[in-house]
Amino acid sequence: MKDLKHLYYFEKLLEDAYNDLVRQAKDEGKVCVGSMCEYTPEPLLNLPGTFSVRLRAPRTGSMEMATYYLTSLLCEYSRALLERAMEGGFNFLDCLIAPDGCTMINRCAENMELLHTMSAGKEHFFHEYMEVPLKADDNGLNLYKVQCTNHILNPLKEHYGIDTSDEAIRSAIEEHNKVCSLIRAIGDYRKELHPKITGYEFHIITLASYVVPKYLIIDKLQETLDELAEREPDTKDKYRCRVVLVGSEIDDVDVVKLIEDSGAYVCADRFCYGSFPGRNPIEIREGEDPLTAVCRHEMYESQCARYMNMEKMLGRRSLVDELAKEYKADGIIYEQMKFCDPWAYERMVGTQVMREEYGYPVLAIDRPYAVGNSGQIRTRVQAFCESVEIKKIQGGGR
Amino acid sequence: MSKELGSERLGDLYKPGGKVRRRREWRGLRDTLYDYSRWLHIMGILAKFIIVPRNLKAMFRYRWMANYLAVPMMIDRHTAGLRGPQLRICHTEYDLITYDVAQLLSNLFKGDRHLGNDKKLSDKTVLLDENEMTVFMMGFPNLKGLSRETPSVYVSVLLNQHAVEHYLDVAQEYGLTPDVCPMPAAEAGVSMDDDFPVLGACAVQCNTTCDGSLMGNGVISKRLELEDGVPCFQLAAPMRHEADDVQEYAAQEMKNCIKFIEEKTGHKWDWDHYFKCAKQVNESTRHRQEWLDMSKTDYPQVIGANLALYTETNYMAICGRVPAFLDADRKITKLAEEAYRKKTKVCKEYRHRAIIWGVQSQYYTEFLPWLQNCWGILPLTDMLSMVSTRVLSEDDKEMAYYDMAWLNSHMIMRNRTHGGYKVLLDDLWEFCEEFHADMVILWEHMSCKALTGMHGQFEEKAREKGIHLIWVSHDLMDPRVIPRQDVRDDVNRYMRTVLREEPVDPSLEVLDDVHSW
Repeated sequence: MKDLKHLYYFEKLLEDAYNDLVRQAKDEGKVCVGSMCEYTPEPLLNLPGTFSVRLRAPRTGSMEMATYYLTSLLCEYSRALLERAMEGGFNFLDCLIAPDGCTMINRCAENMELLHTMSAGKEHFFHEYMEVPLKADDNGLNLYKVQCTNHILNPLKEHYGIDTSDEAIRSAIEEHNKVCSLIRAIGDYRKELHPKITGYEFHIITLASYVVPKYLIIDKLQETLDELAEREPDTKDKYRCRVVLVGSEIDDVDVVKLIEDSGAYVCADRFCYGSFPGRNPIEIREGEDPLTAVCRHEMYESQCARYMNMEKMLGRRSLVDELAKEYKADGIIYEQMKFCDPWAYERMVGTQVMREEYGYPVLAIDRPYAVGNSGQIRTRVQAFCESVEIKKIQGGGR
Repeated sequence: MSKELGSERLGDLYKPGGKVRRRREWRGLRDTLYDYSRWLHIMGILAKFIIVPRNLKAMFRYRWMANYLAVPMMIDRHTAGLRGPQLRICHTEYDLITYDVAQLLSNLFKGDRHLGNDKKLSDKTVLLDENEMTVFMMGFPNLKGLSRETPSVYVSVLLNQHAVEHYLDVAQEYGLTPDVCPMPAAEAGVSMDDDFPVLGACAVQCNTTCDGSLMGNGVISKRLELEDGVPCFQLAAPMRHEADDVQEYAAQEMKNCIKFIEEKTGHKWDWDHYFKCAKQVNESTRHRQEWLDMSKTDYPQVIGANLALYTETNYMAICGRVPAFLDADRKITKLAEEAYRKKTKVCKEYRHRAIIWGVQSQYYTEFLPWLQNCWGILPLTDMLSMVSTRVLSEDDKEMAYYDMAWLNSHMIMRNRTHGGYKVLLDDLWEFCEEFHADMVILWEHMSCKALTGMHGQFEEKAREKGIHLIWVSHDLMDPRVIPRQDVRDDVNRYMRTVLREEPVDPSLEVLDDVHSW
């Protein structure tokens, strides 16, 4: 296929946390809100006068300083972020709002605060920690609204004079939905048997939407969507099978690339920093205030493994099944970053359930934060593709 | 070998490569006779337990039951070197805990569909999570709150260090990564291995300890609810439990939990009984505070393993529901006060006053007596004993929900490992001052992310404050990863190389107990 016009542009944006668009928004006088997890609802961080950047540490090398503080037993995502913060790589932030989601990210954020990695010399800088629901129910929703008010809206208003009114939240939701609908429409091209977009390209575009001011990429997303309508797909299928990629946080641009280079087309992305559920538009129901709409959406749509009620646990696996059907997947790849407790369990159970109860071929892998060109993962994906092919030849079930 | 403290080389009691020790410790005529009488008492509890046919059957049905053969040995390990009042305090506690666990096992097997299949008992049983404060049972006097994980995993490892290795292997064969905490992993392994008794009208699970525990419960509830037909309620305790803006959420969770139990069992919440239990909790708290106050002086009395295991049981599993524990509290206080007046010593030499912080090694809880006996390090208090001292309302019903929620979110361990860094990090240094401690023994449970995530901060602050910080690594329930001798060597190395000290009892420095119970 012919290269997408803006792919290189998006790739460049992902090379540095403090990318060109973040610089541009900062130059415009906007407040940059750092977040570390999907539990911090994006629209509330993208009010008029603010924009959010979800933290990642591209081109991570040594993590020695962070390993001293966090030990080598915490996941590399948390260590890479702390290392980058200590190096000064997040000095552009004006505040950091972290949920007490998983323990490791929480400890990472607390170490950032204790080490004054970003706050030194900034009069208005603040750290906030949110309690976030563990179950999706009415009590959880009430908690979420209180927490978003006390730890996002009020501090932004008090420290930076940001307008946190319902109108402001509504406009943020509108902008958020615009980005989501564009990404969803772009992602729909993955359903085709000869897809017009690769999983890698889609991952780059989706990833970029988490780490730049949204209003600055809407035009590029629209142009990409228009371009895809005309794009000629490869007629000769270079992939051996189609997979749904499910699991913990992936902000490394090489993960999907490596899987696709090994023969498996990533037709759906169910992971943090992916488009499911992160790029589902938010619906404001009749008579509902926008804050409630955001919290309800985040709580009920979230697929975080940390949700503990039975409906959520079972729902996580049935969603994977739905995605696999909708995007015509031949198999599932469950991935987990090493030392991630929530996904260690969800990967184990999900692998067994999707294989035994839903009948999919499943590959389970654990991985470092930056996979690079991992020979181990490549070999495992290649072997998985081969097993799926053999099953197809033998005419067995999925 | 006499009634004097430190009169025996305790390391010589260990038989190289053996499971049990060579012989009982000689503590002088009076203490030896007392100790032997308690040994007979324990054997009596075990005999009464095992003569019930279904309990005997359970020995063959459940792999983990074999560990209970090691009960007398476990108590001996925790009484090592003790004399006089400390020996009596220890037996008061451990005899009661043994009896309580025997009762728990008997009830579990009676209602178990695999064994007794007593439907009447099963219908009034609420299955509890091992890591759960049992506060929401304080108002259900006619229901049984039984934990399956406590006897199969938690107590089993206390008895036999190798108890759950099989279940860890089961979980890992199923696909669980080995870098998660072995406690929930072992519990999940027991469930996968179909080695839990099956009973109950309903179950209440929780998220108290950690992400691993929360997720491990998902494995258990899937089987319990979808295969065994026992409905589960997930009781969410807030992570930032110190914050004012989470208390309403926590209280509502408690209300929902109680409503769930009422619906599933048909029993109604009894406020009178709740307030009766609340009074007992308050009195137990006063006793515990008194013991801790003594430990701030030069004559501590209730310290080390005598404080840790008993507090865990009484605070978390009992929650004022068993009057015998209050009697034990009073007896311990009486013994301790008398010993304090007489300035009785706990061990031969007092060289260092230490706070034990972090999550203890479950397969080596007698490490605390070892510190006293081998190096003269007084384990004044430990993180798991520094729990809530909040006085519960004894008459306000609305306040009671907040009290229960507070206790639930301040379960042992998680009241420090969660709730922000202050309760874990800053409070430690305050306790060091209060207890006049010159040393911190910091358990580094290698799979506990909440603890290891503050590693660097602990080191920097200890250096700043001039406190000896000794890291002691372990893997909670898996001695294959870090054996007991490696745990001891962390201390031995520091004491010899940094402090240049010789042990009080050199026979304890290196022990061949890798195969021991």
